[in-house]
Amino acid sequence: MATTTKDLNVAVIVKLEPDFSEGNVSYNADGTLNRAETKSILGPHSAIASNAAFYAKVKYGARVAVGTMGPPIAESALQQAQLLCDADELHLYSDRIFAGADTLATAEVLKAGISKVEGGKVDVVFSGHRASDGETGQTGPQTAWKLGYTFLGNVIDYNIDLESRLVRAKRLISLQGFYDIIEEVEAPLPVFISIDPSYNAFFNTVSQRLAFEKYQKEARSRAENYKQFLKVLNTQQLGIDPKLVGLPGSPTIVYKVERIPKAKASRKAEVIDGTNRDQIARVVTNMYEVLEGMVIK
Amino acid sequence: MSKYQHLYVVIEHEDGMPLPVSLEMLGEARRLIDGFNKKYSSDEKVVAVVLGHNVRKLCEELIFYGADAVIYADSPELRYRRNLIDTKVISQIARSREVVAEFSDTSEFVKPRYMFFGADSIGRHLSSTVLAELESGLASDINKLVIEDLEIKHEHKTKGQAMMYEKTLEMYRPDFSGFLWTTILCLDNRNPAIEREYHPQACSIIPGVFAPIEPDKSRRGIIVEYVPEFDERDLQVRILDRKIVKSAVDFDSHKAVISFGKGVKDSPEQNIKLVSDLAKEIEAEVGISLPISKKLFPVSQGINSTYMIPDRVIGTSGRKVAPLLYIAVGISGAMQHIAGMKESGFVVAINPDENSPIKDECDVFIRGRMEDVIPLLLEELRKQRPTIQVKK
Repeated sequence: MATTTKDLNVAVIVKLEPDFSEGNVSYNADGTLNRAETKSILGPHSAIASNAAFYAKVKYGARVAVGTMGPPIAESALQQAQLLCDADELHLYSDRIFAGADTLATAEVLKAGISKVEGGKVDVVFSGHRASDGETGQTGPQTAWKLGYTFLGNVIDYNIDLESRLVRAKRLISLQGFYDIIEEVEAPLPVFISIDPSYNAFFNTVSQRLAFEKYQKEARSRAENYKQFLKVLNTQQLGIDPKLVGLPGSPTIVYKVERIPKAKASRKAEVIDGTNRDQIARVVTNMYEVLEGMVIK
Repeated sequence: MSKYQHLYVVIEHEDGMPLPVSLEMLGEARRLIDGFNKKYSSDEKVVAVVLGHNVRKLCEELIFYGADAVIYADSPELRYRRNLIDTKVISQIARSREVVAEFSDTSEFVKPRYMFFGADSIGRHLSSTVLAELESGLASDINKLVIEDLEIKHEHKTKGQAMMYEKTLEMYRPDFSGFLWTTILCLDNRNPAIEREYHPQACSIIPGVFAPIEPDKSRRGIIVEYVPEFDERDLQVRILDRKIVKSAVDFDSHKAVISFGKGVKDSPEQNIKLVSDLAKEIEAEVGISLPISKKLFPVSQGINSTYMIPDRVIGTSGRKVAPLLYIAVGISGAMQHIAGMKESGFVVAINPDENSPIKDECDVFIRGRMEDVIPLLLEELRKQRPTIQVKK
């Protein structure tokens, strides 16, 4: 289906991540993540990206596809995303040879996957800001580049003009050492948007609110039967060159993982018993002295 | 001569004023390349790459801060950052043998050996797209760098055999916990079946980690202009407006900062309220450690949207603060957090565990649970407040 006239096709890429919330996360004695004991969920930034796609559904009646790369268990991330954005299609890109991929090799798979949606006629792709476990924030922009889509990062708000096929987005740019900037940018479709954590969808008309409720209800029933919407695609079905994915397609390797050595003590702490009122009183006096500029440390 | 030469540093600036991370990257680049040239008896350069409009003065300044050469592209179209255009221009520069010929032998030059970007709103995405275009490896959020000849044994790269990789950049990144360092390498492709060569070895660098060198106005370098070609279609991406915004969180104008971390976990709602009470009592701004911004605990919407937000994060993933008084409540003291507060004047930590690394970073360590300590502190603060004011 070609996206002439006023159709809008959007895709979201999501990731199944460790659930860092209290009660679900488990740490080893040395403070590192215990992956075996920690549950997995749709990553929080992926959830925000799904909300941004749902906004396109409510406001523009967009068709939504959600994709993820991962082992079969990653389909639970697709289900959770469908509940948020009422996805029309769910795509799991799954193949043993994808394992061990760095961001460049992951982007290769995601590019191939998005090219399969609606015959390659995706107008907007959404991704989260970064994953909570890998935290590189590189996979989104690298996928955008491989697709040949204009990349817009740190997006806090967007609107699309379906007539002119232009997107207008607000981006939050933090210039460390200076100030933050909110930039308004206009770009022709197609675009790839990575959503800032501070994004909040906002529906201001009655018809939008009605559409919101209708699609939310639909999302609940779809997510219950998510397997009906699910397609699992391997290397061959995605038409990928195996040399460009997984370990062969990854320029980088993890060479070693080590505990960060304890830094030399930079201050010599006086240890105070927190239940001793006299000692606390002395600390408070110190604190006031510092704040009033009476003691120069 | 080698196919891969020099260390390219992609400079970020705001209308000609360099962002601190740019000078920090140049400083680290200078130290690395000085060591490299000595070790390998070579003459490789630190090359700053600048896109902008009216940036000649900035280029001169970059030489004082350690660049041997500056390659710049100057156009009104390059005044503000646009990922699409910037990626193309930087990639063109990285592949340009002509510009390199201005400062070194280029007979075999193909691409830069190493490449640095800032790990911030601009550089994080720009590094990703440039390295996707150059089809090489990229590591993010680096805070330590070493150049070594390494013997590597890897299931895929070396098919399990030990092989030497010379002049390899070891890129260290702290993980989300702050306790582990992962070293990432970008290794040359030695598989003839794959038509790629993995250079430059590139990374994005955490702002505030490396020290710039003392600017030296007698330093000399070469400034080379690169005239970019724009694709008309790319210019359809237009910046309509730019507004400077002040964050609702204001660390700089407060004399005191109180931060809390995972130690609030036993009763997050009540404990965060205690921290907030303490902050009000001494007019402090409230900060958090990085894990808190991941919304670890179920708390009320008010607490959630006020406190558990990225804007409040102190450390390498957030802001750097240096108040007169810093109080760390329930913070263990991961390296990334310490980097954001170590310049503070007087540091008080409240923590039940005397083995926490924060103990080595504070002046007073109050051993105890915040549930017990903060109410006592509040009482004493209220009791002592009048006397101090009278003294004034």
